[in-house]
Amino acid sequence: MSAMLSVRDVSAGYGGRMIVEGVSLDVPAGQIVAVIGHNGAGKSTLLKAVFNLLPGRRGRVRLGDTVLDGLAPQRLLAAGLAYVPQERSTFPKLTIAENLRMGAYLLDDAALIAERTERVLALFPALRARLGQLAGTLSGGEQRMLEIARTLLVAPRAVMLDEPSIGLAPKMVDTVFDTARRLAGQGVAVLVVEQNVRKVLAAADTGIVMEMGRIVLADSAASLRSDDRVARLYLGAAGRAFSAPAHP
Amino acid sequence: MLLAVAEQVLNGLMLGSIYVFVALGMMLIYGVMHVLNFAHGALFMLGGYCAHLVFTQAIGNYALAILAAIVMLIAVGAVIERTVFAPLRDNLRNQVIASLGLVLFIENLVVVLWGPNALQFRIETTQAVVSLGVLRFRVQHLLIIGVCALCVTALFLFLQRTRFGTAIRAVAQNPRAALVVGIDVVRVHRVTFAISMALAAIGGALLGPLFLLFPQMGDLPLVKGLAGILLGGMGSIGGAVVGGLLIGVIEAVSTLVIATDYRDAVTFTAIVLVLLLRPQGLFGVRTREEA
Ligand SMILES: Nc1ncnc2c1ncn2[C@@H]1O[C@H](COP(=O)(O)OP(=O)(O)OP(=O)(O)O)[C@@H](O)[C@H]1O
Ligand SMILES: [Mg+2]
Repeated sequence: MSAMLSVRDVSAGYGGRMIVEGVSLDVPAGQIVAVIGHNGAGKSTLLKAVFNLLPGRRGRVRLGDTVLDGLAPQRLLAAGLAYVPQERSTFPKLTIAENLRMGAYLLDDAALIAERTERVLALFPALRARLGQLAGTLSGGEQRMLEIARTLLVAPRAVMLDEPSIGLAPKMVDTVFDTARRLAGQGVAVLVVEQNVRKVLAAADTGIVMEMGRIVLADSAASLRSDDRVARLYLGAAGRAFSAPAHP
Repeated sequence: MLLAVAEQVLNGLMLGSIYVFVALGMMLIYGVMHVLNFAHGALFMLGGYCAHLVFTQAIGNYALAILAAIVMLIAVGAVIERTVFAPLRDNLRNQVIASLGLVLFIENLVVVLWGPNALQFRIETTQAVVSLGVLRFRVQHLLIIGVCALCVTALFLFLQRTRFGTAIRAVAQNPRAALVVGIDVVRVHRVTFAISMALAAIGGALLGPLFLLFPQMGDLPLVKGLAGILLGGMGSIGGAVVGGLLIGVIEAVSTLVIATDYRDAVTFTAIVLVLLLRPQGLFGVRTREEA
């Protein structure tokens, strides 16, 4: 089985300074691939690079049979790749209904939009009760839900989530990963960047560890969960005792 | 006395409507694309000249002349947006410098094309008068107020009710997010600039026949449109409309108690007061400069 989202040898950075170098990865349909790594490892840069937001990006990206290289964001969405960036991407002074409508910006068919909106609201009932409310009045976690809900309106074949659980209450975190699992269950390829390593490795099929802009480790999520190095560096077991002297 | 007040209020609403055309256009492009265009008054003036040109040289129909002026200004605006403002995106200081340069360029271009003397723009509605009870109004005044109300309503409905209008608001609020949901941000910028130019053209073409056409005729509407934006509070259409109308009414009504010569002083005093009381009303430069 070939991958739904295929990233080959991608390098990218800001203003000529390369941050991500030679990254290749595959996200099969119906699976969750988790990217973990320390702050500044280049995880967000990788997702931006895949979404063609960084000028001068090198490498090749495919979604199914579609070559995505050089396509404008609206063409990527039309091809079926959705993206939730790390920073807030709601429109604070639009209502939740309007935010959802903007999620379906590229769709023209009113009946289709209504049907998909209905399905999304069934998944996120908290949003339904507040359709007329401004998005800026939602909590950070609720806005995250809105961002994820919004991407579903284009019925994507692949979704990239950059730290979806950031700033969320524990219950919300579970909802986010449940949603990701459900998406995968529907055959969507999910690429997720996460700080919450324990949760994401529990939900994901494959894990990828990034350091200094490169992939240093890639394995099934199950084996990464029991990997010593991952436990030491990212799960907080044994802390940083091996590199820094203990305080007296 | 009451009669005089009513007359001046209507006068003020007319002037205020002109300021609203300027204020709305400037606020739209600042809000949506962070462009500060001080050439807006000069473009307003150019709109008046374009309408005059079409009216006297081609069709002789005022409504069609205004439409033609809108089309011409949108074309001029498209060139300016692509050649001047797009390269200076996110650089407010250079935008201000460039747009001040544009003022000189446009005003002198008009002198070259039409000569330095003021032009008369004669149409029937400036002479015609309607009576409303004991009040008598010039048709052109009512036309200005009516067209302004129509444009404001249309713009409001467009921004609130249509998909593209909502996308314009979305770009104003979070341009990166707009990109992520597939909004063509460049196209939104261009359409917004075109709307702003259309409003300037309508304003200039409506004011022209009332007084005279001259190269600096846009200067005061520019300043007072800005005053309207400050007065109404930056960032909302309602604010710009109320602010613009208020400036016009303050200015007109003040002539009842203070000599007409001082009416600009009254307006500028109002601006100073607003700045003293609401310094945050001063252009929201903060948002981008910090980023
Ligand atoms: N817009 C930018 N311009 C210049 N450099 C940037 C920009 N964004 C990120 N960087 C740099 O790129 C490097 C990688 O950043 P990136 O955001 O990809 O890391 P990350 O792995 O997502 O980290 P985090 O876990 O903190 O989100 C960092 O050194 C950062 O300083
Ligand atoms: Mg990041």
